Amino acid sequence: MKKLTVTDVTLTFGGLNALTNVNMDIQPGLITSVIGPNGAGKTSMLNCMSGFYHPTTGELKYGDTRLTASSPHEITSLGIARAFQNIELFSGMNVLDNLMLARHRMLDYSFLDAFFYTKKASRVEAENRDYVEGVIDFMELEAYRKSTVGNLSYGVQKRVEVARALTLGPELILLDEPMAGMNIEEKEDMVRFIMDIKQERNTTVILVEHDLGVVMDISDQIYVLDFGELIGHGTPEEIAKNERVIEAYIGEE
Amino acid sequence: MATNRWLATGNFFSTYKEEQRIFLTNIDRLTIWSLIAALYAWPLIFQMSNKNMLVIDSILVAVVAVIGLNMVTGFAGLISIGHAAFVGVGAYTAALLAASWGESHAILTHAWPLVILFSGLVGAVIGGFVGLPAMRLKHLYLAIATLSFQMIFTWTINFMTLFNQGQTMPLPRVFWLTGKVVRKDHYFFWYFVILTVIVMSGFAVRNLMRTRYGRCLIAVRDNDRAADAMGMHPGFTKVYAFALAGFFAGMAGAMHAYLFRGAGIESFSLHQSISYLAMAIVGGLGTLSGSFFGPAAIQFLDLQVENLSAWAGTILGSSMNLATALRPLTFGLVIVLFLIFEPRGIANWWRITRSYFKLWPFRY
Ligand SMILES: Nc1ncnc2c1ncn2[C@@H]1O[C@H](COP(=O)(O)OP(=O)(O)OP(=O)(O)O)[C@@H](O)[C@H]1O
Ligand SMILES: [Mg+2]
Repeated sequence: MKKLTVTDVTLTFGGLNALTNVNMDIQPGLITSVIGPNGAGKTSMLNCMSGFYHPTTGELKYGDTRLTASSPHEITSLGIARAFQNIELFSGMNVLDNLMLARHRMLDYSFLDAFFYTKKASRVEAENRDYVEGVIDFMELEAYRKSTVGNLSYGVQKRVEVARALTLGPELILLDEPMAGMNIEEKEDMVRFIMDIKQERNTTVILVEHDLGVVMDISDQIYVLDFGELIGHGTPEEIAKNERVIEAYIGEE
Repeated sequence: MATNRWLATGNFFSTYKEEQRIFLTNIDRLTIWSLIAALYAWPLIFQMSNKNMLVIDSILVAVVAVIGLNMVTGFAGLISIGHAAFVGVGAYTAALLAASWGESHAILTHAWPLVILFSGLVGAVIGGFVGLPAMRLKHLYLAIATLSFQMIFTWTINFMTLFNQGQTMPLPRVFWLTGKVVRKDHYFFWYFVILTVIVMSGFAVRNLMRTRYGRCLIAVRDNDRAADAMGMHPGFTKVYAFALAGFFAGMAGAMHAYLFRGAGIESFSLHQSISYLAMAIVGGLGTLSGSFFGPAAIQFLDLQVENLSAWAGTILGSSMNLATALRPLTFGLVIVLFLIFEPRGIANWWRITRSYFKLWPFRY
């Protein structure tokens, strides 16, 4: 597994710095959390990592591959998947189709195979359906398989978001507030899923989350952003003792 | 448990392949195949006049064109106001072949299925080319790009002697196993040809829509940011949607030209593009069955309005000019009414009827 490195990234929107000289070292196989008050630049950071934004200056690298100027579909094919903060599912489709769409790149048959629905197309579709069912099992979405995504509750939609990112079969998964707006039970489930993503699926996790209790419990590494600047990083114990971080959080309240 | 392939209720699948089927139950399969058989059989039983057969044939040509429009506008959500021009590309491909090889060249008279296929491919190439702005433009801007293609097409045809300046360019009668298809059988013969193309296109579209090559269209329609994150190139996908639309339009155009024994610009005007859009909307955007209902409904409406305006003309006299205004008026009204009250089109009525029978014997 490869390391994701962020070097001196600055991102400017018309004079406003969403990110200022941010450096990060995302260790493979761990859960790294990015925290910070509202508008700190967490989503912007994930957008840079997944190719939706391109940093004004600075560089991102995954292993030896430069990500700085890549577009989202290129980054996806490197094995980096993303679940969105504002749900961005294909809301008119059912859960199954949403997940099958994530297998797009892995469905290895030609246009003519599809046009005539040859044995090959049928076989490849069935194999990938198998994979999708694995993810559905893993995320405990069996009951919603054929439900239209737009009709599901917010909590379940969030779970489908994460499931869809997992269906891409990533090495590194970016989760943007996967627990926002969930009740306690749903949150507990999601925490369990995230732990399992790391342990059972050997996937590196980058987690953006507001619930500090959860973050302190499950993170191996934490980065703290405030007004686009990195104000601290380290293990949960180190962060809990970091004066600047405490100040930023108390200052907020 | 014995497998039950007759009712949808109480039917459980045990492999994923079973779920991929086009016909989930034998009833579905039986219904569709009998429908197709009936469509092939009825002209043999009921004698139709050439005039009526021509009306039916033009509906069928429109069905093929609307299947294409549905690929780009229905499934991929990209409004195309130049679809008639793509149909025109197909028609003029066939016409140009006739003009350059001579009207009675064997390829045109004997290998006409290849000419139709080739016109479809030319349509696909032009479609993809015209779709290139979709890499950058969205919504209204993209619609305007397709509109400009319609304009450029009309101008090119009207001003170039190569295209006979919009005057009809002739196409020959074709040969079939039984010999030359004569005047008496012409429309009868083309009915079966176009119907066959429709059946094949219908299955092809159903096939595409259960694979990555169809799902990606819906993905860019529903959310092209997410499509990008799923590893699709949204720009290429849209260009591909235009190419698909161009393919079906091109085939429709070539068949139109053969059917009317020539290509002339008046069949591929902006007005016709709007008609295709109306057919797609009334039939139901993004549905296959809508591509069949839409053209039939609009053509039927057209005939009724014609009768009505003739009748209105006799009562009100020609001074009011109401008769001529009636056609665009009802046309517009029907589109607006559908958009407001049944945006999912006639296909939705079909869906409701079917799901009623699907749940049988349970009410819900
Ligand atoms: N596309 C954009 N155009 C202009 N400004 C933007 C854009 N995207 C983000 N910003 C600005 O960048 C700053 C950081 O926003 P970002 O969404 O990254 O915050 P966040 O840490 O994810 O906040 P939250 O916890 O509310 O999700 C904000 O001030 C926001 O207004
Ligand atoms: Mg955010």
